[in-house]
Amino acid sequence: MDFISDFFLRFIVQFQSPTLGFLIGGMLVAALGSKLKIPNAIYQFIVFMLLMKIGLNGGIEIREANLMEMALPAFFSILIGLAIVRVGISIFSLLPGVNKEDGIATAGLFGAVSASTLAVAIVMLEEESIAFEAWAPALYPFMDIPALILAIVIANIHLKKQENGKGKGKETKVDVWQIVKESLRGSALSALLLGLALGLLTNSESVLTSFYEPLFKGFLSILMLIMGMEAYDRIKELRSVAHWYAVYAALAPLMHGLIAFALGYFAHLLVGFSPGGVIILSVIASSNSDISGPPTLRAGIPSANPSSYIGASTSVGTPVAIAVGIPLFIALAQIVFEL
Amino acid sequence: MTFYKAKKIVIIAEKMLSSKICEMIDKSGARGYTVVPAGGKGAHHRHYTSERASVVDDFSTVRIEVIVSDKSVAEKICSKVVEECFDNYSGIVYLEDVEILRPGKFSGET
Repeated sequence: MDFISDFFLRFIVQFQSPTLGFLIGGMLVAALGSKLKIPNAIYQFIVFMLLMKIGLNGGIEIREANLMEMALPAFFSILIGLAIVRVGISIFSLLPGVNKEDGIATAGLFGAVSASTLAVAIVMLEEESIAFEAWAPALYPFMDIPALILAIVIANIHLKKQENGKGKGKETKVDVWQIVKESLRGSALSALLLGLALGLLTNSESVLTSFYEPLFKGFLSILMLIMGMEAYDRIKELRSVAHWYAVYAALAPLMHGLIAFALGYFAHLLVGFSPGGVIILSVIASSNSDISGPPTLRAGIPSANPSSYIGASTSVGTPVAIAVGIPLFIALAQIVFEL
Repeated sequence: MTFYKAKKIVIIAEKMLSSKICEMIDKSGARGYTVVPAGGKGAHHRHYTSERASVVDDFSTVRIEVIVSDKSVAEKICSKVVEECFDNYSGIVYLEDVEILRPGKFSGET
């Protein structure tokens, strides 16, 4: 009972935190038809700043880390990413009124990772003084890329089967390496990997503490505002597709996060993966890519309707992951690990 | 100054197609092209203008203009773009008649 009341208290408090407040504020502002616009260039710059800070922190810590400690969580990340896609596709194939490719693309997005959700989790963990390995965010590409690749491969196999049945002859070979390259070249991952490399190889502590770190929370709040506005705008698109997408988008983040939490707990027992690390693993599992994933899927599965996967991810998935998921996993970890 | 007749191809397509289309234009022998950001509405989606902070910027549209002196090259470019891109992505192509001043700049063959 304590857990439930504690969770609700924590939940309500989160709504007052700047991150969530700005997210909801953005939705309200868009709903009221305000002309407030944050220029696109600023949005891109903010994504860079956030991931650079996360990367630098991670890179600096990797210097002292034991690489074997990273191996198991990294393996679990790959597993979770693939599992989410596979399970998601099965779920969608059972639901009526859902186009197969749209379901595959949506499952792919939910397997992938959102940089903004990760950034919010990091801020909340720091506020709660829950320690985590600074390289935990580096698990991002391990989950993100396999999930997207699996989704595109399955979609192409499905399409090929259809075309062979109809007698068409268009060759759709899936260039996996191309997908990996495109994903790694995406702005979010590039910034993260660059930050990791710089943190690892150069003496960037001064620039980190004097520039990237102080600005982190502020920029995150603006990013949340933008995401809130975008979430509201995409709701119209979500309305045009089956409401199953909204249901999936609301429940899947929690489901995926809990599965990841269980696996993270094993990692904790086996290699001493920290509670904060387990939370981060859960958060990235529950997150769904809303920035870099959609273009990759649009290119890889062109016949899927973007309204379904982007609508599901941006309007419902990310807000749920941030507002409900993160507090849930933090509260859960506090109970399980007796923090 | 004499004006010469030429054909202008206008392609309005999703922004993420722009590099693919520009490659096609280069290969077809056209000497150049102009790309302008665009927004609007189509049969399937609404395309936001580049002013708006669209989280996924890759979904706004571009307007690509190509001028070639040779009508058959123009038609070739049009059909290629429609065939390879517009099955799965949004866009339109159309031809306009224009008059140009320096035909050497636009001819398909160097």
